[in-house]
Amino acid sequence: MKQIYHRFINGLSHHSRQWIMLLCAIVFSVSPALSQTGRTIRGTVTDEKNQPLPGVSVLVAGTNTGVMTDVNGAYSLSVTGNIVTLKFSFIGYLPKDVKVGADNTVNVSLLPDARQLKDVVVIGYGTSSKKDVTGAITSVKAEEFNAGVLTTPAELLQGKVAGLNITKSGDPNKQPATILRGPSTLREGAAQQPFYVIDGVPGASIDLLAPADIESIDVLKDASSTAIYGSRAANGVIIVTTRRSRAGQTRLTYSAYGAMEKVSKSIDMLTADELRKYLADNGVAPLAKPLDDDGSNTNWQQLAQKTSYSQNHNLSYSGAGNNAEYGASVNYFKNDGILKNTSLERTIFKGYINQRFFNDKLKLGITITNSGTKSDDIVQSQVLSGILFYLPTVSPFNPDGSYKENFARTGSGTLNPLSLIDNNFIKTDNNKTLINGFASVDILKGLKFTLNGSTQKDQNNVNTYFNSKSGLAVGLGGVANRTAYKSTSDVVEAFLNYDREFGLHSVKLLGGYSYQQDRTNDGFGVQTQGFSNDNLTFNNLFLSNPSNLAQIKFDPNYISTLRLISYYGRVQYQYNDKYLFQASLREDGSSAFGINQRHGYFPAASVGWRIISEKFMEKLPVISDLKLRAGYGVSGNSLGFDAFTAQLIYGIPPGGGKFLNNGVITNPIGPVRNDNPDLKWESTATTNIGLDFGLFNNRLTGSVDYYIKKTSDLIYTYQVSTTQYFYPLLTANVGKIKNSGIEVVLNAIPVKSKSFTWRTSFNVSHNKNVVESLSNATFAVNNIQSAQLGGKGQSGNYSQVIQPGYAIGTYYLWHYLGKNANGVSTYQKADGSTTAAQPLTTDQRITGNAQPKFVYGWSNSFNYKSFDFNFLVRGVYGNQILNATLASLNNPADSKFQNIPRFTLGESFKDINGYLISDRFLESGSYLRLDNATLGYTIRPNVKAIKNIRLYLSGNNIFVITKYRGVDPEINIGGLTPGIDNKDFYPKTRTFSVGVTASF
Amino acid sequence: MKKIFILCASIAVLAGAYSCTKLDVPVESQYVKSNFPVTDADYNALLGTIYSNLSSNYAVPYWRMQELSTDEAILPARDGNFDDGGQYRQLHYHTWTFDHPNVITIWQWGFGGVNTCNRIISLINASPSTEAKKASTIAEVRAMRALYNYFMMDLYGNIPLITEFPVATQPATQTRAKAYEYIESELKSVVQLLPAKTSANATLTYGRPTKAMAFALLEKMYLNAQVYTGTAKYTEAVAMADSVLKNTNYSLDAKYRDIFLPNNGPQINETIFAIPYDQQIPGNQFTRFGFFYYLVQAYGFNVGLSIAMSTTPEFYNRFNLAGDARTKTWLAGPQFAPDGNGGFTSQPVYYPGTTTQIVIEPKLTLVPGKPMDLGNTIASQSEGVRSMKYYPDPTIIQATRLNGNDVPVFRLADVMMMKAEAILRGAAATSVNGELQTPDVLINKIRARAGAPAVAGIDLAGLLDERAREFSWEAWRRNDLIRFGQYEVEYPLPNDVLTMNKDVNRRLFPIPAQEIKLNPNLVQNPGY
Repeated sequence: MKQIYHRFINGLSHHSRQWIMLLCAIVFSVSPALSQTGRTIRGTVTDEKNQPLPGVSVLVAGTNTGVMTDVNGAYSLSVTGNIVTLKFSFIGYLPKDVKVGADNTVNVSLLPDARQLKDVVVIGYGTSSKKDVTGAITSVKAEEFNAGVLTTPAELLQGKVAGLNITKSGDPNKQPATILRGPSTLREGAAQQPFYVIDGVPGASIDLLAPADIESIDVLKDASSTAIYGSRAANGVIIVTTRRSRAGQTRLTYSAYGAMEKVSKSIDMLTADELRKYLADNGVAPLAKPLDDDGSNTNWQQLAQKTSYSQNHNLSYSGAGNNAEYGASVNYFKNDGILKNTSLERTIFKGYINQRFFNDKLKLGITITNSGTKSDDIVQSQVLSGILFYLPTVSPFNPDGSYKENFARTGSGTLNPLSLIDNNFIKTDNNKTLINGFASVDILKGLKFTLNGSTQKDQNNVNTYFNSKSGLAVGLGGVANRTAYKSTSDVVEAFLNYDREFGLHSVKLLGGYSYQQDRTNDGFGVQTQGFSNDNLTFNNLFLSNPSNLAQIKFDPNYISTLRLISYYGRVQYQYNDKYLFQASLREDGSSAFGINQRHGYFPAASVGWRIISEKFMEKLPVISDLKLRAGYGVSGNSLGFDAFTAQLIYGIPPGGGKFLNNGVITNPIGPVRNDNPDLKWESTATTNIGLDFGLFNNRLTGSVDYYIKKTSDLIYTYQVSTTQYFYPLLTANVGKIKNSGIEVVLNAIPVKSKSFTWRTSFNVSHNKNVVESLSNATFAVNNIQSAQLGGKGQSGNYSQVIQPGYAIGTYYLWHYLGKNANGVSTYQKADGSTTAAQPLTTDQRITGNAQPKFVYGWSNSFNYKSFDFNFLVRGVYGNQILNATLASLNNPADSKFQNIPRFTLGESFKDINGYLISDRFLESGSYLRLDNATLGYTIRPNVKAIKNIRLYLSGNNIFVITKYRGVDPEINIGGLTPGIDNKDFYPKTRTFSVGVTASF
Repeated sequence: MKKIFILCASIAVLAGAYSCTKLDVPVESQYVKSNFPVTDADYNALLGTIYSNLSSNYAVPYWRMQELSTDEAILPARDGNFDDGGQYRQLHYHTWTFDHPNVITIWQWGFGGVNTCNRIISLINASPSTEAKKASTIAEVRAMRALYNYFMMDLYGNIPLITEFPVATQPATQTRAKAYEYIESELKSVVQLLPAKTSANATLTYGRPTKAMAFALLEKMYLNAQVYTGTAKYTEAVAMADSVLKNTNYSLDAKYRDIFLPNNGPQINETIFAIPYDQQIPGNQFTRFGFFYYLVQAYGFNVGLSIAMSTTPEFYNRFNLAGDARTKTWLAGPQFAPDGNGGFTSQPVYYPGTTTQIVIEPKLTLVPGKPMDLGNTIASQSEGVRSMKYYPDPTIIQATRLNGNDVPVFRLADVMMMKAEAILRGAAATSVNGELQTPDVLINKIRARAGAPAVAGIDLAGLLDERAREFSWEAWRRNDLIRFGQYEVEYPLPNDVLTMNKDVNRRLFPIPAQEIKLNPNLVQNPGY
C-alpha cells in the first residue's frame, strides 16, 4: 500500500514538473523581453532544515521575469546575459539575492525571518516592528493562545496579557467580562469592554471569529497607542488579525477537538436524610407529608447538571499566486452547557479573495464572513438559586408523572427547579454577516492610499416560551415572547500612508478619514399568552388567547442610529534606529452627544529610546536589548450609547401606565429624557512609561510598564430638580476615576538544545482603582449605592458603595461581631454598641473591595523532539468576594421549608440573624489555577502531501487553590457591582479535550 | 499612470469626505422636539401624563404616608421580611427622616405633576388651537395643578409654588398659609370654566376635574383652614358643600360595596373625583399588600401575595355597629368562601393542604428581637385584620399584582360629612334643594346606606369615628387625625420596644434632603 502511494506521488510530481515547465513557457512566451538566445538556470530552494520550499518567488533582478518553485522546491528560469542577480523571496523567510555567473545550477537555502514572524505588531491603520513600538502593546500569536472550549478572543488571552483581567463562568452563552487596567467608567455593559478591531474593521463583532482562524491578537493598552481610535478607545483596543495565505503557498488545514466538560465544584448542601435529622434534632416538627416530604432524596444540583460534550471542526484552505490570494474556511462549534438545556451552536463561513493589478500597484480585496449562532438558555436567575434552596425531601415528580410543586411554600426555594428547566426555554437565533472590501493603491514611492468599506448585518431573534406547566406562568396557558431585531453597521475608512527613509531618518505618516453608522434595533418584539396546548410553543402567536390587552405586550425598543465621523493623523519618526517619536491626533464627531459637544479631539505623543543601539552598550554584551518608552495620550469612551442619550424625548413615562380618556384607556405621552446639549465623551488621559529589555542574547526578555490612567467627565445619570427639568434624571458628565498600576512581563528560554526547548513567560500586573469625585458645581452626590442583593428582610439594602476615595466594588456591609451566648449572630451598630437584632442600614460600613491587588499568569511550553507540552497557571491575589450565596443559605430556622448547606450544621439553630449579608461573608478571592495543560505530538510523515499532523490532549481548570468557600472564585469582575456571588453563578467547568490539527 | 492613480485616490477621498461629513441622523423612531406635539391627539396624550402620573403613586406611596402614619393601617415585618429598610415602622412610629423613600418619591411625584402641568400650559399657549379650546384645556390643567399643590401642601406644609416652566430661578419655599392662598385663588379662578357633571357627560368627565371637584377640594381646604392657616373657615366649607350638593347628578349609591369594586367607574353616582385604575393603569395594589394570601383560591384567583399589611386592633374596634355593611370590608375571624355578592357561604376556607379553617386574629403580637416584627409562622401570619374594601380583582396576574379598582379621592359622602363637621364646628346648617341639612340628617343618610342604626345628636368624637368607618383606607385618616389633634395618639403593641415620636412637628413631612441639595432656596421644615 505504502509503496503504491509513493509511486503515485512520485509519478505525480514527475508529471507536474513537466506541467509547470509548460505553464512557465506559456506564461513567459507572452513577455516580449524574453530572448531566445538566453540560457536556463535551475536549482532547488530549501529551508534551514534542508527541506524543499515550494512557492518561493525567484525573480531576475531588474526584469519582470520570474517563477515559483514547485512542490520539490525546484525551479528553472530562462535568463539572458552573463551575470544576473536572482532575487529569492518567500514570506516568513529572509529574502536572498544571489549573483549568478556562469553556473547554470543555483541551489539556495533560505533562513526563516524570526523577526517578521514574531515581531510584527499591529498598531491601528498600519503595522510596526516590535522594536519600534513606543506605546504599551502586547501581541499574542496563535501558537500562544489558550487551548480548550473557547469562543472569544478574550478567553484565548486569559492569563497571557498583563493588565487584562478576564472573568468567565461556565455559561456557554455568556461572554467573559474583560477589564483592561481597571474600571474607568460608571456605565456598565459595552462601556466597560475593550474596543475590537477585526482585520481593520472597527467595532466588528467578535462572534464572527473562529479561534482557529485567528493569526494574532494585539492588545493596545495605553492612550499613546489607542488614541488613534479616539472616542471608543479608553478601555483599550484589541486588534484581531485573521489568517491569510502566504505568497506561493497553498494550504489545507483541518483542525478539530472534542471535549468533555463537568462541573468543577458544587455547593455542599444537606441530603434529605441529613435535613430530616437536623430538623428532628432541633425539635422542629417533621415536614408535611407528602407535600414537603415524600421520602425522596433529591440532589437538585446534580439533577440540573450534566456532563457536556463539545466539539469544534475547522476546515480551511488558501492559496496565493503571483497576483491573487484567496482562502476560505468553515468552522462548526457546539458547546453544550453543564446545566441542562443550555447550549451554544455556531457555524462560521468565511471566504476572501485579493487581487493585484498594474504591477501590484493596485490591490483589491473582499472578505465575506457569516456567523450563525443558535443558543438555548434557561431562566438562570430562578434555576441557580432553586437548585440550592429547594427541599431535597421532595421528588421532582408526582406519582402521575407531573412536576411536583407547592406554590404556597414560602422561603427561597418555591419553584421546582427541574420544572423550571424543562418548562421554560429561551432560544436565540443570531445571524451576523460581515462584508469587508478594500482597495489600496501605491501612488508614489512610499505613498499608499487605502480605502476600506465594510457592512455588518446582525439579525437577532430571541424566542421565549413559558409553557402551561411553568411555575412562572401559572394558569396562563403558556406565555410566548418573540423578538426580531436587525442591526447594521457601515464603515468607510480612507487613509494615506507615507513611509520613507532618508539616510538615518525614517518617517511614517498617516492621515485618514472614517465614517461609521450603526443602526440598531430595527424590529419588534411581542408577547402573548393562552394557548390550547404547548405543542407549537412560540411558533404561532395567532393561536393565542389573551384575555385582555394587558396580556399582550410590545417591546419598547426603538431604532437607534449613531453616526461617527472622524479624521485622524499620525507621525512616526525615528533617527538612526535609536530615537523614536510618535504623535497622533484624532477628531471624532458623534451624533450621540450634545449639540454643543459633538466633536472631540484625542491627541497622543510618545517617545522611545533604543538604548541598545548606543555605542556604549557594546561594552555590556550581556544586555542584548534595551529600550525606554514614554507616552501620554487622551482617548475617549463613547461605547454603549443610545443615539438619543442627549436629546429631549417624548414617550410613555416610566411605569408604562395609561390613562382613561373619555372611557378609553390611552397611552400618555410626555418627556422621558431631558436633553443635555453639553453631554460629551468620557475622556481618559494615560501616561505610560515602559522599559523593554533583553539579556543573554535575548534568552531572557521582558518589559516593565507603569501607567497612570485618569478618567474625567464620567457620565452618570444624576437626579435633578423637577422645578427646572422636564424629567428628574439627567445624563451628565461629572466625576473622575483614577487607575494606576504596574505591569511586569518576563519571557525566558531556559533550555534550548537541538531536541529540547523550554520557553516560559510570566506576567503580573497591579492596578489601583480609586473614584476621585462624583460631583461638580452643578451636580453633586456623596456616593452612589449599588448592589441591591435582596435577601430575606434586606430587600432595600445596598451592599456596595461608589464613593470618592474608594475603588469601584467597595463593600458597604454590616460588621459581624461573632455569636453571643445564645449562639445568635451579633453585629456592630453605628454607635459602636453590639446588637443581636438585625442592624439598620445606617449601621453599614465600608469594608474591603473587589479589585484584585495582583493578576498574574505563568505559561510554559516544552518541546522535545515531536512532543510538545504546555501549561498555564494563572490567578489573582488580594481581592474580596461577597459570598451572598452562603449568607442566604445560612438560615437554620428556615430549614423547615428550604435546604441548608453543610456549613450551617456548625451554626446554632437559634441563630435568627445568620443569613444577614455582612462582612462575615466577605471572603478572600485569591486563587491560583492550573488553567490549562496540553500535551501534543506532531507527526511529520515523509509524504509530500502532508505537512504535519498534530494530536493533542488538553485539560482546562485542572485544579484551583483558593480559600473561597463558594463554587469558584472567578466571580464576575465587570460592571459596577464586581465580586458578588449571589445565587447566580453558572458553575465553572473542568474540561478534558482531544484534538487534532492537520496541515496539507 | 501615476497621475491616474493620484487622480483616482483624490476623487475617492474627496467623494468620501464630501458626502459623509454630516452628523445629523434622521429621527425614525422617537417623538422629539421636531415631531411632537402636533395633532389634537398629541395634546390629549400630553394631558394624559398629568393623570398617569397621578395614578402612578397615589394608591401606594402617597397612601402609605397618609395611612401607615396612623392607626388605620400598619405594615409590620414578618421575621425580617418587609422590614425594607425600616420604612414602614418609621411611618408607624413617626420616626421617618428626610431620606424616607415615600417622602422622596411623593415630593418628586407631586412637583413632577405640578411641572408637568406648567409645561403643558406653555405648550398649549403656543399651540394653534382656538382660544375657547385653549381656555377650557388650561382650566383643566390648572385645576389638576391645584390638586397636586394641595397634596403637597397637606403633606409638606411649606412648599415652593411653581407657576411656570421653566423657572428662571429656583423657586423658594413659601409658608403653608401662602400656599393655601395660592391654591384657593387658582381653584376659584378656574371653577367656572370647568365642566359640570350632567347625565350625559359622566364618562367624559370621569377622572377629570369638574366644578364639583373644585368645590369639594375647596371644602376640604376650608374645613382644614384652621390647621393650614390658623384661621377657621367653616361657613365657607358649608357653602362649598352646598355647591356640590345642589347638583342632583351626584347621589349616594345604594350599596356601599359597589363604590370600590374592580368594575367601579362612571356609573358610581357619588364619585366626584376618582383615580381610575386598571390592569393597564398600574398603581393600585390593595390586594397584593392588604388581602390575605391563603384566601386567594377561595376568591377565585391564584397569585402570590404579600403577607404583611393590616389594620390595627384599636382601629378595627370602631367597626361595632349592628348591620353595618362597612364592617364586611374587613377580613376578621373564621373565614368562609364568599358568595360573590358581598356575603359568605357556609363553606370554611382551610389553610392549603390541611383541614384547619383560616381564622384571622385582630391582635398584633410582636416577637422580640426584631423591630415591629410579628414573626412568620402560620399563626403569626394570621394576625392582623386584612381588607377587601377594594375587592380583589379577578384579572390580577402574578407579574404585576395590580387591582383595577378605581380609588376615590372625593366622593359625595365626604362632602356631606365635611359639611356636618363644619356645622358641628360652628357653621350654620343650610338647606339644599329644599332640605335642611343638619349634621344628624347628613350622617344618617350615610348610616342608612350602610345599613347601620341612625344617630341622634352626633358630636365631633362620634363624627371622627363615623369618618373612620366610612373612609377607612381612603387616604384621609392623617388629615382627619391632625384636624382633631389626635395624630400623636399611640396604641403600643404587645412587646413593643419602640415608641412613637410625639413631636407635633411631625404633622409635616420633611423636605427630602436631596431636593434641598438640588435647590438651595428650599427650607427644611422645623424639627428635622
